[in-house]
Amino acid sequence: MDLIIVTGASKGLGLAICKRLLESNYKVVGIARSKTDEFQALENENKENLVYVQYDFNNTKDIHELVKSITKEYGNIYGLINNAALGHDGVLGTMHESQISELIRVNVEAPILLTKYASRSMLMKLRGRIINIGSIIASTGFNGLSVYGATKASLNGFTKSLARELGKAKITVNTIAPGYMQTAMTAGLQGEKLESIKRRSPLGHLATVEDVAGTVVYLLSNDAKNITGTTITVDAGSTA
Amino acid sequence: MNIKETIKETYLEVLEQTGSELLVPELTDDVVLLESGLDSLGFAILVATLEEKLEFDPFTMMDEPLYPTTFGEFVSIYEKMNPNNQI
Repeated sequence: MDLIIVTGASKGLGLAICKRLLESNYKVVGIARSKTDEFQALENENKENLVYVQYDFNNTKDIHELVKSITKEYGNIYGLINNAALGHDGVLGTMHESQISELIRVNVEAPILLTKYASRSMLMKLRGRIINIGSIIASTGFNGLSVYGATKASLNGFTKSLARELGKAKITVNTIAPGYMQTAMTAGLQGEKLESIKRRSPLGHLATVEDVAGTVVYLLSNDAKNITGTTITVDAGSTA
Repeated sequence: MNIKETIKETYLEVLEQTGSELLVPELTDDVVLLESGLDSLGFAILVATLEEKLEFDPFTMMDEPLYPTTFGEFVSIYEKMNPNNQI
């Protein structure tokens, strides 16, 4: 049974990914800052195959130890889903420097370091999957999300070069770029703005966390063995 | 088995695992790493495998980046940074 690490696992997209992975017979280590009731409920139903590890990616210096402790306890890692991210919004001119640093640290530096250490398991086995959760904002832009957009675009660049680096070791690296989904991160997006996004989408609605989780399962599967260095957009057509 | 022997043995294992060949007659201290048969990805696999065997990665423990050129330098970094060394 292959071991998958999911960051930001306790709610929203991360939680949906954990659910789908368990249904698809993976063993899952879910990492999050705090455990939600929903994650606890999922853990109760999957005592054997779901493990919770508390970690705040604002702290980057203990990521090496985090990965070492996971591999020591649960064995080699097959897949890493870099999903944890902050979504601070605000006009750049008035955004506090500490928030800019925090966004870059949690959304870029932490997943890069986590990938550095988690990929070692994959290198030793010459097989593995790295999936970075990006965003359509990386390519479309959105008022008030310049720093968030910069971090997500940076993951695209990371994906492309790392795919070239790890290809020889039969490790694939891809980005999934979700469109707007109804999660805690987009809770601020309500009313007319939300309705307008739905209306403009060719399919007339938003993509869901389940749609994105399904794409994760696909990229982990053997069917996706020849897909690497690319971005799969799951946005109900919003960017078509 | 001392650290040098472990590194040599692991080096040869990674060489085989990656389908590479030793490009020098023997792994002596003056062999230039990138001319020895393993490429940069091979060395990443070697460092990862050594971390699993020896339970430390000297390159992560260092405060400043240091990239060894020869096999002898590579081994001496492991010997110097070995947390099990008695000081």
